[in-house]
Amino acid sequence: MSVPQYRKAAALALAAGLGISLAACSTKSSDDSGTDASGKVTITVDCQPVGAQKELLANWNADVAEFEKANPDISIKSVSVGEQCNNPPDFTARLAGGTMTDVFYGYMTDLQQVLDSGQAMDITSAVSKDTIPTWDSVDPALKEVFTEEGKLYAIPVKNYSMGLVYNKALFKKAGLDAENPPKTWAEVRAAAKKIAGLGGGVAGFSEYSAGNTGGWHFTAEIYSQGGKVLSEDGKKAAFNDAAGKQVLQNLKDMRYGDNSMGTRQLLQWGDLLTNAGAGKVGMFIGAPDATQAIVSQFQGKYEDWAMGPMPGQDGAAKGTLGGGEGYFFKKGLSDAQVKAGLKWIAYQKLTPGKGQLDYVRAKPQNYPVGLPQPLLFTNGSEAQKQELDLRKANANVDTANFKIFEDNPVAIVGEPRNAQAIYAVLDSAMSGVLTNPNANIDSLLKTAEEKVNQLQAAGS
Amino acid sequence: MADSGTRTLISQAQLQRGRGKYIYWTLLTVVVLGFTLVFLGPLYWMVTGALKSGQEIAQTPPTLWPHDPQLQNYADAWNNLDLAKLMFNTFYYAAGAVFFQLVFDTAAAYALSKLRPVLGNVILGLMLATLMIPAMVLIVPQYVTAIDLPFMHVNLLDSPWAIWLPLVANAFNIFLLKRFFDSIPEDLIAAAQVDGASPLRTLWSIILPMSRPILGVVSIFAVTAVWKDFLWPKLVMPSPETRTLSVGIYAFSGGTPQNVVIAASVIAAVPTVIIFLLFQRNIMSGLTTGSLKG
Amino acid sequence: MATMTAPATRRPEPPREVKTRRSKTGRKVRDNLTGHAFLIGAVLCFALFMWFPMVRGIVMSFQRTRRGETTWVGWDNYTRIVADPSFWIAWKNTFIFTILALVLGYLLPFFVAILLNEFRHAKGYLRILVYLPVMLPPASALFLFKYYAYDPSEAGLFNAILKALHLPTSEWMQSPTMTIPAMVIASTWMNMGSAVLIYLASLQNIPGELYEAAELDGAGVWRRIWNVTIPQTRLILTLLAMLQIVATMQLFIEPLILANGAGTQDSATSVAYLIYQHGFFQNDLNGAAALSVIMLIVLAAFSAVYVRLTTKQD
Repeated sequence: MSVPQYRKAAALALAAGLGISLAACSTKSSDDSGTDASGKVTITVDCQPVGAQKELLANWNADVAEFEKANPDISIKSVSVGEQCNNPPDFTARLAGGTMTDVFYGYMTDLQQVLDSGQAMDITSAVSKDTIPTWDSVDPALKEVFTEEGKLYAIPVKNYSMGLVYNKALFKKAGLDAENPPKTWAEVRAAAKKIAGLGGGVAGFSEYSAGNTGGWHFTAEIYSQGGKVLSEDGKKAAFNDAAGKQVLQNLKDMRYGDNSMGTRQLLQWGDLLTNAGAGKVGMFIGAPDATQAIVSQFQGKYEDWAMGPMPGQDGAAKGTLGGGEGYFFKKGLSDAQVKAGLKWIAYQKLTPGKGQLDYVRAKPQNYPVGLPQPLLFTNGSEAQKQELDLRKANANVDTANFKIFEDNPVAIVGEPRNAQAIYAVLDSAMSGVLTNPNANIDSLLKTAEEKVNQLQAAGS
Repeated sequence: MADSGTRTLISQAQLQRGRGKYIYWTLLTVVVLGFTLVFLGPLYWMVTGALKSGQEIAQTPPTLWPHDPQLQNYADAWNNLDLAKLMFNTFYYAAGAVFFQLVFDTAAAYALSKLRPVLGNVILGLMLATLMIPAMVLIVPQYVTAIDLPFMHVNLLDSPWAIWLPLVANAFNIFLLKRFFDSIPEDLIAAAQVDGASPLRTLWSIILPMSRPILGVVSIFAVTAVWKDFLWPKLVMPSPETRTLSVGIYAFSGGTPQNVVIAASVIAAVPTVIIFLLFQRNIMSGLTTGSLKG
Repeated sequence: MATMTAPATRRPEPPREVKTRRSKTGRKVRDNLTGHAFLIGAVLCFALFMWFPMVRGIVMSFQRTRRGETTWVGWDNYTRIVADPSFWIAWKNTFIFTILALVLGYLLPFFVAILLNEFRHAKGYLRILVYLPVMLPPASALFLFKYYAYDPSEAGLFNAILKALHLPTSEWMQSPTMTIPAMVIASTWMNMGSAVLIYLASLQNIPGELYEAAELDGAGVWRRIWNVTIPQTRLILTLLAMLQIVATMQLFIEPLILANGAGTQDSATSVAYLIYQHGFFQNDLNGAAALSVIMLIVLAAFSAVYVRLTTKQD
């Protein structure tokens, strides 16, 4: 080969090397309409269970196979995005990068962020009894959460509300009545003191204060006091009042007055549940599915755990935090794809006896049937009755453990707007009372109030 | 490495005489024991701690060795976190980083050192200027760029290119390589040119064989960069299939018992520690001489 | 290109002069093309991932993206970021961390290196020990500290040791005053190995005669360190100090893992963590870009002053 050809080759190799290799990964960006030559519609769906959740994953894959068999013109591509399907930074990353799946999972609090990213599709006109047979039975309050200015952006698939989760075994050990959980914060405090008295590093009551989960629980607890996090117009903080102070005072009394909350603080989701799984937590605030996580991920036992309603300050709680999940649709999908997506969600999430509501299949597995969730259907609706009957008939956990929770419903309040940012601020108030014996509740709340006011002023 | 012959702060003779000798041996013993405790101690704690049960780990005072070893923790870590996949990813990214840095940075340094094209100095200046920009400052715009490359409109999320290409833009490596190439006599290259060798051939058969030590240093830097980086891979590799070890362990820590997280950390450390112990001579001398004299 | 291959066939008669004269400018262009061809890969990467993002970061800091639409907002992002009560806390924490890390993480490796350099035995073993933590993935090392060393109860490793020595125990990451020192200790443990190695190498380059001369002048050990070791390693000392400060100012993974983010009452919030929180939790990439620009200015100003001060002494 002659000299200049060498050079030419070198130049080409170097210059083209980059270009070609970059072009190679562009195959990933999908701008196809999702319909192939044979008229088959393809959609991608996320939140497929991860490999560690063996049975859930097998169930999901079986659902996909059965659905595709019943709908030969639809092909479902499942994508797993981790154990926690919406881990805020990753979720933000996917939104910003537009790498979400065609039909993608999100929390009820995510609507604003999804709208901001410009990636949400208005599906109002596509949703009806034809695409989702049980649509009319779905609780209108849940539809409302995913609606902005009269337009629907997501289909709710899960809904929960919080109560008092407690360890029956520890209750019995401490000489407490395990069938009669505390109903007020004063009773919680008394019980926590007794349980902590067992020693061995057991916390009577345990609470979050990091990774935005502290603020999340502060919100739940201020609702129980009848308080609010934000003013009606959503522009100002509303938690620096008697209710907010009471929340922190209760925690402070337990943490330092009685020393009944354990020494380990700054807990976030997994930390508390790890302790709970190891039998070191008497009570905590949580949704029914917390017990599922304790068992399936943190080596706990179902028979130990029961649930009562959210405690109130004096008497029943004035409210409790509710939340849930749904599936959004990515902007730019074809009508056929939207329809396919709705059909899939209807099948896998909203049909009693199928998918996530297939209790016959779930019964022998290490996942609970009989928990008072997902609370998707309106009270008294046909779908709700079917779902309830199936659930009762196939329960593999003692439904009695959740009876007190179910029989004492508390008014459900949704999460505040801009929830994650507010939770981050409130974490510091929570960590303040839980790690500093001399914490000044008034000043903690005042600082948090200033920060939230600023956030809201800047965000609007 | 200095052999015992070279004179250091304190003279050899002084260390071998009465009081000096006594102090030397006392100090040496204290330091050897102290360092073992400080640097190996935590690792011992890590390996054995991961064998304890949740109950045992919360025991006061802590137990020195696990009374009821739970090998299950290691098995769970391996299976639940899919460590094999995470390790493969990390090594794959590291290998690619070495390859692309060697190819592009060597070529660039060679051009800047020997071919000196027009505007070469301006380009070098612009490259060196990036040394002054801390990585954190560029995270947000780099991220926005990676999710939608200008002109090409390609999304690099979850693609190894998102790790490889930004690492090529490493002014320090280019600087090291260029300085090394600068020290290679012009005569050698001129002679090669007279013989009709193209620049590529000169680079391949004259420069590169002479540059093995510095290429080794650049490779080590490239591997360490991938190994140590956290935020960037966390952002550009959002899906579990593409995560690196560090990011993967962090991502799973939220939903995994503590002992399993630690067990995963131990397993993650094993291959590199082995590689390090095997090649420690080369790595150490490469690192120190490279960063100083290169 | 076709004509350029011609000379090769004519090689037997070497009219080299003729050839060069004929294509002097052509050759120049060609050499330049070759040069740039070798450069193009690196230049493209720099352009895409360094130069362009730098400009883009500044541009972004004056824009706001909402509902998929981007508008110019002037200084809004800056006023919002500066008004955030966490802003000053983050800077305060970052500075304290940087200073403590300098005292511990910068001086300690230097003295460790001096010590190791004096030993005639067990050198290799000690060097491997110091460097071992560098080999751990950073997340692994930090989880070790978080779960075992800094456990606030008496089951924690550090507290058990303190208690055995009859010293007061600490709640570590749960105590606002201990948060930063605890992060410095963990960070120094996992990073000091590389600094020690670099110092060791530069110590070995000091000519032994200098020490001998100093000793003859009657200088003791400390005087010799002050008069010989430090001046002889000054270049590397000043360089590493600057690199370390710039690195520690970007403190991120320590608060993220050890303190679950902000730590107790914001005692661990760092500037880098705030950038992350704004950009990826609060859906505010523009605010994060503004904070990045502020960070760049602070660090650039620091570097300029530092370089000024250290070179003036010459």
